Amino acid sequence: TASPFTSLPIREEMTTKYSNLSLESHNISVTEHSCVPVEKNITLERPSNIELICQFTASRDMNSVNVTWKKGDELLENYLINVTGSIVYAQYLFTIINSKQMGSYSCFFGEKKEQRGTFHFKVPKIHGKNKPLVNYVRDTTVLICKCQHCSPLNWTWYSSNGSVQVPIDVQMTDKYVINGTNANETRLKIMQLTEDNQGSYWCHAVFQLGESEERVELVVLSYLVPLKPFLGIVVEVVILVAIILLYETYTQKKKKHI
Amino acid sequence: RRRGVFPLPQTAMTPKPAGPPDGGWGWAVAAAAFAVNGLSYGLLRSLGLALPDLAEHFDRSTQDTAWVSALALAVQQAASPVGSALSTRWGARPVVMVGGVLTSLGFVFSAFAGSLLHLYLGLGVLAGSGWALVFAPALGTLSRYFSRRRVLAVGLALTGNGASSLLLAPSLQFLLDTFGWRGALLLLGAVTLHLAPCGALLRPLALPGDPPAPPRGPFAALGLGLFARRAFSVFALGTALVGGGYFVPYVHLAPHALDRGLDGYGAALVVAVAAVGDAGARLISGWLADQGWVPLSRLLLVFAALTGLGLLAVGLVPLAGSQEGCWGALLAAAGAYGLSAGSYAPLVFGVLPGLVGVGGVVQATGLVMMLMSLGGLLGPPLSGFLRDETGDFTASFLACGSFILCGSVIYMGLPGALPSCRPAPGPAPPPPESRELLPVLPAALLSSGGPQSTRDTSC
Repeated sequence: TASPFTSLPIREEMTTKYSNLSLESHNISVTEHSCVPVEKNITLERPSNIELICQFTASRDMNSVNVTWKKGDELLENYLINVTGSIVYAQYLFTIINSKQMGSYSCFFGEKKEQRGTFHFKVPKIHGKNKPLVNYVRDTTVLICKCQHCSPLNWTWYSSNGSVQVPIDVQMTDKYVINGTNANETRLKIMQLTEDNQGSYWCHAVFQLGESEERVELVVLSYLVPLKPFLGIVVEVVILVAIILLYETYTQKKKKHI
Repeated sequence: RRRGVFPLPQTAMTPKPAGPPDGGWGWAVAAAAFAVNGLSYGLLRSLGLALPDLAEHFDRSTQDTAWVSALALAVQQAASPVGSALSTRWGARPVVMVGGVLTSLGFVFSAFAGSLLHLYLGLGVLAGSGWALVFAPALGTLSRYFSRRRVLAVGLALTGNGASSLLLAPSLQFLLDTFGWRGALLLLGAVTLHLAPCGALLRPLALPGDPPAPPRGPFAALGLGLFARRAFSVFALGTALVGGGYFVPYVHLAPHALDRGLDGYGAALVVAVAAVGDAGARLISGWLADQGWVPLSRLLLVFAALTGLGLLAVGLVPLAGSQEGCWGALLAAAGAYGLSAGSYAPLVFGVLPGLVGVGGVVQATGLVMMLMSLGGLLGPPLSGFLRDETGDFTASFLACGSFILCGSVIYMGLPGALPSCRPAPGPAPPPPESRELLPVLPAALLSSGGPQSTRDTSC
């Protein structure tokens, strides 16, 4: 659907400075009887021109509606309003070029808190493994972080000692190898695991518009851990076999004596 | 009719062995066979849960890791005659105990695997061979312990499969989360070691009809001479054809449901409905068959045919009807398939004593497993190939349903399968083997042609 603002002048700066960027358009619909504020989450990876449109439908006189735009608590300027019949359209055009422009942008219709719409801009989320990775001593393991429909500029890995994140230096030892088959995933390969390598590992994805991080948990066990229940069960089996065979010898002896 | 009599050791005072005890220690053997089934087929089916972790660790594809299970299943079934041959020679007890130790070693070895090849060898070859040594001897021994309640006992033992999946699947997931796949395989090695006490429960039983001396030479031990009997050969051919279609739903029912637009939980429900129907039907069919109202071979034919039709329905059903109707109809077809396949399973083993006599049951069991494995090796890949060629599983299920229907047509050649029109004392007196196929009654009544006359009136 065509924007109701196509006839209105677009800010000149945008056409010259950022004309090479794509334009993303997002709509929110707010009604007079909204019980909860309307929200929309937008995932943004690279700098873009943004057009936000809030559409307010009410039965009362539209011209008395007080429309404001805010980013967080900061009041914004340079927005456009169009009233068509019983619908008010509020438009805000801007450009996001770095992480300072990310955040939450809200359009307000009047004083009531419920009559607003909010756009949340976030960098893409990356996914690791939601379960701990269990390995054994002297194994080689690969920790993977993936980003579904995005390509970060850079990936980095950190190991965590409690709350402090320590970057992993690949050049120092050949214990760690970082590579990724595509741009949207990264792999940390750890060779010759020891129990000290256990803990949390963090992968950071760097975008032009911010950073995203995810945690992967690594557990390193020694073979003694499963060995104890294993030996216990083996002993139980041997006892069972002995009981069964002894019982049979006993009943056969009983039969012989009858 | 002798019941509940413990088998006496051969002494000078008792020259002739008693008949099947039909209870007593037989129930312990049934419990052992139940556990054997659970620890072999049931465990093999749950093993699929570990495959994704293996694929991740060794950085191989799902197809490569799938070969671990496929190889184990193939070795288990194809080497079954070896298990039955060895147990014919040395008795079921030592063979099953050794098989249990072998399987356990296979799992322990694979816990330390450094590559996928080690897993193919450890789980596929070693554990598969161990399993090949346990299944046929255990089930064959069970058949020897029962006559009047044989099919029920076999059906009971065969539910071990489903019960084990219910128990092992969540436990395996817990083991994988707590100990990783290495620790899980190690502990599964300890779990499968329980096959040894199961083997210990398989007390040797001497029955009339046993060959006087153990067979000499490997071929005699394999029981290939059984193929000389027309009834067994007909059964073997029919079962091999049924095997071509029987295993396809194990592999492709869930993907088929997903293809038809169901989500993960919907597909899981379809599989669960089939599995529950299958497990319940095994017991009911076993009980029903033992009542003796219908000759076992006729029940075999009927349920094989119904399984084939059920699979045709599973393949065809969604072509007619709307989206909502599709889901319900698929569930109904899966349930129908499950009920018929479950009813068919215990009968496969239940008819054997009638075809080959109690003396040959263990060998016959091994041969039947091997024949079904031929179908099991061909069926799923063919089904997958048809899916890739035609785009969905309709052709696959039509093909495997047809295989099973062909098998059931061949079953019509079994004695007793079709109502005969011969006058009352036709073949008189009936030979000991076919006595098993007829409803089992005291010998006195049998000679007067009691059950045969009821069959003739339905001509």
